[in-house]
Amino acid sequence: MSRRKHLMEALDQDIRDHIERETQENIERGMPPEEAHYAALRKFGNVTRIKEETREVWSFMWLEQLWQDIRFGLRMLATNPGFTAVAVLSLALGIGVNSTIFSVVSTVLVRKPPVKDPDGLMMLFSRNVGAAGSGDYASRSPVSPPDFLDWRAQTTAFSEMAAASSFEDDLHATLAGGSQPERVPSGAVTANYFQLLGVSPALGRDFLPGEDQAGHDRVAVLRADLWKSRFGADPHVLGQTVRVNGEPYTIIGVMPDTFRSFWMFPEQLWIPLVFTPEQLSPAARAQHSLSVFGRLKPGVSEAQARSELETIARRIAVSNPETRKDWGANVLTVQQYAIQESNSSTALAFLMAVVGFVLVIACANVANLLVARNTARRREFAVRAALGAGGFRLARQLLSECLLLAILGGGLGLVFAEWGLHFLRGAFNWNEWSILLAEQLSIDRNVLWFTLAVSAASAMFFGFAPAFQISRRDPNAGLKESSRSATVGREHHRLQNFLVAAQLALSLILLVGAGLFVENFIEEMQEKPGMNPHHLLTASVSLTGANYKDPARQAAFSQTVLRQLAGIPEVQSAAISTDLPYTFPGSARIAVEGRPVPKTEKQAQSAYFAVSPGYFGAAQIPLRAGREFTLTDNAQSAPLAIVNEAFAKKFFPNENPMGRHIEITHPGEAASGSMGTIKWSEIIGVVGNVNESVGQMAPQPQVFEPFLQHPDPAMMLLVRTHTEPTAFAPSLRRAVWSVDKDQPVTSIRSMDRVFHDSEQGDDIMAELMGAFAGIALVMAAVGIYGLIAYLVGRRVHEVGVRMALGASKRQVLLMVLRGSMRMLLVGVGIGFLVSLGLPRLITAAFQDVHMTYRNWILAATPLAVILVALASCYLPARRAAKVDPNVALRYE
Amino acid sequence: MSTKEQRERLELLQGTLDLLILRTLRLGPTHGHAIAKAIELRSEDVLQVEQGSLYPALHRLIKRGWISVQDGTSEHNRRAKFYRLTARGRRQLAVETSKWDKLAGAIARILSPVEQEGQP
Repeated sequence: MSRRKHLMEALDQDIRDHIERETQENIERGMPPEEAHYAALRKFGNVTRIKEETREVWSFMWLEQLWQDIRFGLRMLATNPGFTAVAVLSLALGIGVNSTIFSVVSTVLVRKPPVKDPDGLMMLFSRNVGAAGSGDYASRSPVSPPDFLDWRAQTTAFSEMAAASSFEDDLHATLAGGSQPERVPSGAVTANYFQLLGVSPALGRDFLPGEDQAGHDRVAVLRADLWKSRFGADPHVLGQTVRVNGEPYTIIGVMPDTFRSFWMFPEQLWIPLVFTPEQLSPAARAQHSLSVFGRLKPGVSEAQARSELETIARRIAVSNPETRKDWGANVLTVQQYAIQESNSSTALAFLMAVVGFVLVIACANVANLLVARNTARRREFAVRAALGAGGFRLARQLLSECLLLAILGGGLGLVFAEWGLHFLRGAFNWNEWSILLAEQLSIDRNVLWFTLAVSAASAMFFGFAPAFQISRRDPNAGLKESSRSATVGREHHRLQNFLVAAQLALSLILLVGAGLFVENFIEEMQEKPGMNPHHLLTASVSLTGANYKDPARQAAFSQTVLRQLAGIPEVQSAAISTDLPYTFPGSARIAVEGRPVPKTEKQAQSAYFAVSPGYFGAAQIPLRAGREFTLTDNAQSAPLAIVNEAFAKKFFPNENPMGRHIEITHPGEAASGSMGTIKWSEIIGVVGNVNESVGQMAPQPQVFEPFLQHPDPAMMLLVRTHTEPTAFAPSLRRAVWSVDKDQPVTSIRSMDRVFHDSEQGDDIMAELMGAFAGIALVMAAVGIYGLIAYLVGRRVHEVGVRMALGASKRQVLLMVLRGSMRMLLVGVGIGFLVSLGLPRLITAAFQDVHMTYRNWILAATPLAVILVALASCYLPARRAAKVDPNVALRYE
Repeated sequence: MSTKEQRERLELLQGTLDLLILRTLRLGPTHGHAIAKAIELRSEDVLQVEQGSLYPALHRLIKRGWISVQDGTSEHNRRAKFYRLTARGRRQLAVETSKWDKLAGAIARILSPVEQEGQP
């Protein structure tokens, strides 16, 4: 460093010396001294620039200049607080929405699960080769116990395999004892499960080999949060007994909280997975019930593992054709599985594109402000160039100012992103998955890097054009140009007009997109549910314990609970069903009497419910023909069925379904036809259609059986109340507990809430799109206002001349407006044309969304954009028209 | 200097200035102005060196360790910065000179047949 300083001083001296010598020589040649000096200087060249170039030879120069640039930039930003505020705010909004959405992307798509070597941890699935077009789910089916055991025995690609009973509702465990029974998400896992995942217990131990054998399996592992909430983080919890689904288990370990930091693992309690003899029978190959994990051997690739497993599966298919024909295997990393299962990649890609647009609009705003400001600074640049600053140096100065803006914008953007996340955490509440996801949403390291990268990229983006303009400019022109020229050169405005037109086009596209999503959402909201969701409280009861193994006991329990409820004055009616409307129900295969029965796989399907007497009355689903089930339609009477109109239309087109007979086969059951005796059910009623999900395009066929004939331990209660339904929740719990105090009552929600929850985030999509489009439009308006105000400011003198020559205020106003009309129309026109393709794009991207272009969107959005743009033009234009010619002519 | 003069002068190729400086310093240590003059004189005013551009080049060579700089006194007892070729600079000069000869030879070979074609 000191050597450099020394050299630089030497350089100064050297140059002085050089010029003196040259001057001396010139004098000796006979020039007058003064002329001799100037001639020497001319011959030497630009001293400042040469010093700079020489200094640049000694590295670190750029760092020093950068520091200079930053200090200078900060000073410039401080002297222009209005400009700085608008620019930083625009950028912060643009970057903030990007960081917010990217936080979700990071949580769902980027972050790896908290297990050892996540890339080597695979999930193994059965793949239904026969089911064409039934989507991802067919390739991600759970695995049957016999298949799992065969895979584990035959594999060479995996060092180890573990299984967990898959994450379904019936795997919640009921913890008895304490103040009230509680249902917690739980899993039954093979003994090597935790070792395979590479997660060690925080307390105690995990399962030992052999504890997944019958007789040794009464041990349980808790997750830390359950340990804290239910056992007060008692370190002596080990060895205590807890009743899980009525059976006693000894607590042997506590798993750390970090284990929950991935939404795919919702369990709070684990017990060993023990296969019953019937689960291992050949017929059980069709019972897909396990999530299977495998650890790849070192050096084995995913593709090798997949093809090996496929070979094993094919071998099994050959030796078990009746159950395994058409079934292959599939291998995914845990992360890939999580991504596919979340089914959100499309929505996230879409949102990322949208926030990308918002950022582009923000950048265009800042670029425009910079161009305007740089024009005002033209003389400053010309002077600096004349003093020896190279074009590159000037451009770099501008770029570092931009970088400063971007860093400020990015920092504030992160604050905005935190707000955005706060909103999203509240909005992600429509199912267990989304709630777990909401807990994980945070600004993590990925998001910070992303924000930094996006900020830097935007600085380049909005800084490039203005900087380029400066570096190309001839400094002489800048010095000579007088601010008194009557009109302003056109060349800079082309860039600015282009930027504003682009902003308008993008805003319009975003607005149309938002309009489509909002329209879609409104349509869903106005959809006729086919039932009356108001004043209806729902709850879930899953009977556990040895008492309820017998279906007759389940049926008896349901009748007792309904009688209890009927005795409460607030209750208008009460009923039980296996599933609620607007929650995806189970399905059954249907055969019609008198028609040939196709093969199992080809058999038609229908949604399936088992409902108690009074169900249709309580839900207020209209009865179109026949009658409801009654108490006498029970296990002793002949099998009966009720169907909805969509069912009737599909299976009995132009026929009367009443009195016809159908066979209803439940999943996992072999069709009784193959045994020779068919159990026909008579159709005794037809009811109105009720959708199974919000936004469903066409009503789906549904079939109902009497709950008393087909009881199920997992039942949904529906209670129609005279009063506010949610206030009835405690009475509902008491009524159930008066029948059995060990049965937890969970998922207590009003039917309205069920309805809302089944929107599956459509409301968020509409809200986010609306918010982003709103931000975009406001920013575009600011951009237009800024540009016109700036142009008007530059033309004050010209306006003064015109008015002095007799132009009226109106003419001036029109002149200014006319000037901006073209860019306005071009922007809106391009935006309009592009947005015509949006509905098709959205429909193609989202399988379950069907969008059409509504006329109101087509008409209203361009109109809105034009109005906003005109208003933004009008304000500064009116100011121009108010110019006093005397003042304007004197204006310098 | 007149415009005609200017037109007849040649701009230096990138890097050749370095070579010329090294060659000039081979004759002995000297100061910046003298280097500029020497290049001008020895090229019979054909090569145009903007005198100032000498200095970044000098510092480039110092940085590479091919020349060094020290205080000294010139004619008339004036203090000045003297540039001196280092041992490494001397070796580099040999390398650069042979490179230059090769380049010049190659270009000459490419250009000369054209002249012959012109006069059959």
